[in-house]
Amino acid sequence: MTDILLITFAMTLLYIGIANRLTTYIRILVFQGFLLFGVTFLALSQINVANLVFILLETIIFKALAVPIFLNYVIKKNGITRVAEPFIPNFITLIIITLILVITIILSNSIHDTNLDKTFFIVALSTLFTGLYIISTRRKIITHVMGYLVIENGVFILSLAVGNEMPMLVNLGIMLDIFASVFILGVFFNKIGDVLKDPDVNQLRNLKD
Amino acid sequence: MVSLILIIATSLFFTGIIIRTKSIASGRKGPGIFQPMKDIVKLFKKGSVYSRTTSIIFQIAPSFYFASILMAILCVPLGNYLGVISFQGDFILFAYLLAFGKFFMIISALDTGSSFEGMGASRESLFSMLAEPAFFILMGSFALLTGQTSFHGIFSTLHYGSHISYMLGILATFVFVIIAMIENSRMPIDDPKTHLELTMIHEVMILDNSGFDLGLILHATNLKFAMYGAIISNFFIGDLSLMYTIPIFFVVQISFAIAVGIFESFMARFRMSHNPQFIFILTSVSLLIFFGVLLLLERFAK
Repeated sequence: MTDILLITFAMTLLYIGIANRLTTYIRILVFQGFLLFGVTFLALSQINVANLVFILLETIIFKALAVPIFLNYVIKKNGITRVAEPFIPNFITLIIITLILVITIILSNSIHDTNLDKTFFIVALSTLFTGLYIISTRRKIITHVMGYLVIENGVFILSLAVGNEMPMLVNLGIMLDIFASVFILGVFFNKIGDVLKDPDVNQLRNLKD
Repeated sequence: MVSLILIIATSLFFTGIIIRTKSIASGRKGPGIFQPMKDIVKLFKKGSVYSRTTSIIFQIAPSFYFASILMAILCVPLGNYLGVISFQGDFILFAYLLAFGKFFMIISALDTGSSFEGMGASRESLFSMLAEPAFFILMGSFALLTGQTSFHGIFSTLHYGSHISYMLGILATFVFVIIAMIENSRMPIDDPKTHLELTMIHEVMILDNSGFDLGLILHATNLKFAMYGAIISNFFIGDLSLMYTIPIFFVVQISFAIAVGIFESFMARFRMSHNPQFIFILTSVSLLIFFGVLLLLERFAK
């Protein structure tokens, strides 16, 4: 069952590669939050109840509700354009994300370790790389933050793979969430629009002979 | 043999159901479900008009196209019942028969010397080229999963056991539905209703065909839909007896037709530049299916 959720998670990565609008990005992040909730619920069966409830609440409230709602609010408040504006065409992005998936599958096949759950490893690693890729090819600050959230989801999956043995790692993964929210708060308080230090084109109207 | 009869029977009303669904969704009563077939019969009674710039290729291409699709249908089995042609690796023959028919349509479109038709031909070949790896990776994954290399072998030994295999079935159905939409140039890729040559793909290729030839091409589309529906229904049939097989077949076909109709009513056509990435998604999804199969078989080095 966790495999189904993780394969669906990998499909959301393909979708985020070709999404055009920021709203779609946010919806994907919400969906990923719910998927992670399911994975957490199924995978972490051996840790104590209090910790499990804390982690579950964190995934559902923080990842799936609070952060996306706040991102939506920031986009509206700061007047950010609703299109993602990548540097390179979506088609190439899709090919690259597919290549990332294939390469991580090949890579994980060459690792011989009995403790490693391969599905978790592949999905986590490809999520990490996809997040990095999204950060490096999108123009806006807000999409950088979203790329960071994707990376952080990847780290969370990686920590879930060993969560039963080391619950501490999952809690450390949650720390990244707080770090991400600091990012978003920074974008919000500094009223950063599309990009940093956006030159105001309207000031050109003041130019007169 | 059963599958051939059933597919031909379904092709008589498949497009009719799509059109009826679309009419009901837009608040009209709509024509009866046999109306497209009546139109085709009317076209069959007419003679053809050939442009003087065209050569023999333009005249034989519709027949080749129709024949290639009929022959591809011969390869499709139904559950336990063999298709007319069945041997190891018949799905490769199936794919290339379709490609053969498409090749003739493309050169006949180029033969007319019209700039629009050449454009449509180029688009059609691009989209088919992008859809082909998805089909092969998908069938290859199932061949790996079942250890069989013919349509009949794959479908009759395919049964769902674990959670992942249900996921694979759903994903495979998704991929086949989208491939059927691409091959038949339906809504998200191409709008069969537009009469703007610049935006069309398949429709623009057959602008110069008339009468009997046009009827053949239109009926080939119906047959193609029914054929893909049959393949999709095979994912759910397994090795049941004929008593259950036939109802399941018709239920899958009719729900497929209704799904296409609903798709077309509530979705806008993509911009032409967005089509390649949409089709490439299929290849990526098939790769995920392949990965799922590897997981199921535990082929990963532990």
